[in-house]
This record gives sequence, C-alpha cells and structure tokens, in this order.
Amino acid sequence: MLRVRGVSLRYPNGKLALTDFDLTVDAGELVVVLGGNGSGKTTLLRCITRTVKPSSGEIWLGDTDLCPLEGERLRRARLPLAMISQYASLVRRRSVLANVATGALGRHSTLSSAFGRLPASELEAARGYLGDVNLADLAEQRAGTLSGGQAQRVAIARALAQRPRVLLADEPVASLDPEAAEEIMRLLQRLARSEQIAVLCVLHQVELAYSFADRVVGIRNGRIAFNLPRAQVSRDAVHQLYMHEAA
Amino acid sequence: MSVDVARPAVKPPLGMGAWGNALVTAVRCVLLLLGIAIIIQMLIVVEARPQDLITGIHGMADLIRRAMPPDFAALPAAFWPTLETLDIALFGTIVGIVLALPLALLAAANVTPSRYAYYGARAVIGLTRAVPDLVWALLFVTAVGLGPFPGGLALGVHSVGMLGRLFAETIEQMDMAPIQALELTGARRMQVFSHGIVPTILPTLLGISLYRLDENIRSSLVLGFVGAGGIGFQLLTDMNLFQYRDVSLLLIIIFVIVLGAERASAALRERLA
Repeated sequence: MLRVRGVSLRYPNGKLALTDFDLTVDAGELVVVLGGNGSGKTTLLRCITRTVKPSSGEIWLGDTDLCPLEGERLRRARLPLAMISQYASLVRRRSVLANVATGALGRHSTLSSAFGRLPASELEAARGYLGDVNLADLAEQRAGTLSGGQAQRVAIARALAQRPRVLLADEPVASLDPEAAEEIMRLLQRLARSEQIAVLCVLHQVELAYSFADRVVGIRNGRIAFNLPRAQVSRDAVHQLYMHEAA
Repeated sequence: MSVDVARPAVKPPLGMGAWGNALVTAVRCVLLLLGIAIIIQMLIVVEARPQDLITGIHGMADLIRRAMPPDFAALPAAFWPTLETLDIALFGTIVGIVLALPLALLAAANVTPSRYAYYGARAVIGLTRAVPDLVWALLFVTAVGLGPFPGGLALGVHSVGMLGRLFAETIEQMDMAPIQALELTGARRMQVFSHGIVPTILPTLLGISLYRLDENIRSSLVLGFVGAGGIGFQLLTDMNLFQYRDVSLLLIIIFVIVLGAERASAALRERLA
C-alpha cells in the first residue's frame, strides 16, 4: 500500500537527513518506527506526506508516485493518506463532531463547504467514526474540553473520516499517560486489522512497539538499521539505536 | 553554636570607582536638565497661560449659564442626527470589517499566499491607518459632498487600516497546528480558512470589531465638524447660531451615546472572551 523507494533528503545546508530509504507498509499492517532524537523518523513522515520534497527517490501510495506531483494533483493524490501527531491539533472552539467531519473536506468542493458548512451525510458518518473510537457520547461537546487521550481519539476519528488507506502517526502517545497510550495503540492496531489500513507509527516507547507492532523499523542517522517482524527484534538492536544517540 | 560564614568582599564593578560614580551623577544631572528643558519648551510652544484661564472663567460661566437648562423640547429634532451618528459608525465599522478581513489574510505572514501580496496588503493597511479619519472625511466631503455618507466612508477606510493590522496580528498569533492538520486532510485553502482559521479566531475578531465600533461612534461625533453629517454637524450649527440650550442637550446625548456604546461593547467583549 505504501512503498518508499530509495528516498534521500538533503537539507540546503548539505546535511543528509535521510539516505536511500526503503520501506513498505502493507494494508492491515502496523509498522512501528523507532530511533533516537534527530535520527530522521519525523523527517521520513514529512517526506511521505510531501510536506517536504525528497531530494531523490519515490513514494508510492497505491499506484501513484507522490514525488513528482505538485499543487492540486498532489492534494488529490494524497487524499487516502491521513496523519495524526503528538498533539491532536483540533479546532478547540468547534464541536467534537464538526472536528471529525472536517476530515472529509478534501472530498467536497461545494460552495457551502468552502463557507464553513459540513455536508449532512458527512456529519452522520462522523458519528459513526466517533463510535469507532468509543466517543459517540461526546459528539456535541467542544473539542477544547477534552482530555489528552480523548482528543487523540478524536484526531484518529478525523483521520478515519478521510477514509484513509494509509495512516501515519507521529509519536501519537508521547503526551499521554501509560494507560491512555496503550488504549491509543490498541485502537490503531484494531483499525489496521478491521479497516485494512496500512499504519506507520513513529514511537519512542519501545515496550509499546513490542506489544503492538507487526514489524519494527529502526532508524539511525537517516538510514534503516533494521526492518524486522516484531518477534525478531532483539533488545540489543533497539538498545543500539539509542546508544548511538547517547554517544 | 554559631557558625561563621565567610562573606565574600563586595567588590565594585569594573570601572566603577570614584570616577565612575562621578560620571553616573553627571549623566543623571544632564538627563534632569534635559527633562526640565523639554517641559519648558513645551510650555512655550503651547503658549500656556494659566492666568488667562482664571480671567476667562467668567466667559465660560456665562456660556454655561446660557446653556442651562438644556432644551429638552428639541429632543425630537435631535433624534435624526443621533441616528445618523450611530449609523455612520456602524457603516464605517462594517465596511472596515469586510475590507480588512481579506487584507489581513494577505498581510498575515503565516497564511499569506505570496510575498508580494503580503507587502501590498501591509502597504494598504499602513496608508489607511496613517491618514487620520478627519482627513479622510475632508477628502470624501470634497468627493461626494456634505452629509453622512462621506463620514461613513471616512470611518470605513480608516477602520480598514486599524482592523486590518489587528486582524493580521491575531491570525499571526493563532495556533497553526489545527490549520496544518486540516491542510493534511486535503482540505482546500478556502475550506481551511472557513473551517479552521475562522472558528479559531472569530471571538477575538468580534471583540476587536466591537471595540472598533465603540471607537467609531466617538469619531463620528467629531466628523460632523467637517461637514460629514451626524450629531457633530448639528452641534457645530447650534454653536454658530448661539443656540446654547440646544448645544447642552446635544452634549448630554453625546455623553449617553459614548457611555452606552462603551458599556455595551465591554459587556459583549466579556461574553465573547
């Protein structure tokens, strides 16, 4: 579903942030990316969303290579790609339901949607997505009143409203307590399985990777250190990722 | 048991010996003399003569005596200029909001579509803000003649500058994370604006707009003096015709309008906060 082929990113100052990066995430699979600070995890996600343009390589979303695309063609091609990050980034003064429904905006080009209205069908669908993340009863509540864990679940529901085939998660549990963090990871795992979404999740919590990932990718200095099924990832290999950072 | 704690000797800062202290004292004296000189030149330039105020108090007292009691019989006649004043302010504020909002989007560094649009919008905002509303009123009176319309136009144009700057600053200070999240969902620019930016900043924009309406009501009272309609124009006419009892009535109305607008604006802004 998501294929990253030979992606490199060199910053204008000459620093190489990613080097010849290869990665595949299949439908229904949850892949966790581990690595120290500055190893290139978030840069990888920014390349995949094309927030930054890789210096070379290909990023295939289904049958479409995102790398050569720009403007409206890129926007359309990127629609099946959803992203959640450390902070839920909700519009705090809008209702939970409205926040979820905004995930569907990319599919609508009507005048009313441009002027702040949301299609009734999408609002109805948004209730369903809220049900998927067990927050249906908070639909009418203001997003600014939610706890961190609830807000992150709303962000996931907004991503679902996008009807994604690939979901990128950039440290989605970094600001949550352990219980809420497990809940979010369990939710991502369930969605990957039930909705056949390819989930690529950047984490710092090694134990969560061991508990929920189908595959673990280790990054060091912008290169893949290992890319293995969870059961084959040794503690020592993971330790090396962070030792490098300490050194 | 007492414990002796060795205190470090207090050393004067580098270069702060006796000469240093003398230098500081000298600088202070110069600054004091400079301050006194500024105040003296100010009094000379404004030709401040407090004794004139004392000798002229009889003239003021006479004026006030002739203005009393206010002629409440003229109240119905004052209704129309009062309504004109309020509507000039409302017209100016609405025109200001409608024009300032798109300008602010171009003039906010974090959402502007291009560098040229940014500098262009900033230039328009700067120009409309720098020219006082009274000068705009004179220009529009010349263009469209006497009456409330040039007053409304003057306040509208001046409000574009004032609101444009404040709106742009509000947009620049907003949390961009929800906006970027919406962009990543594939929402178009206009959708991001209406579903992300507007709900985030609307309460602040409304608060600023209400404050501007309050300011415009006060300004519209003065604009009448240059022929731009409203209660100010009526006030000037009554003064010229020595109708001081009508003048005192108009002053009471102005007081009520200003106070009422200020209170209403403050109450509404408090509810929005």
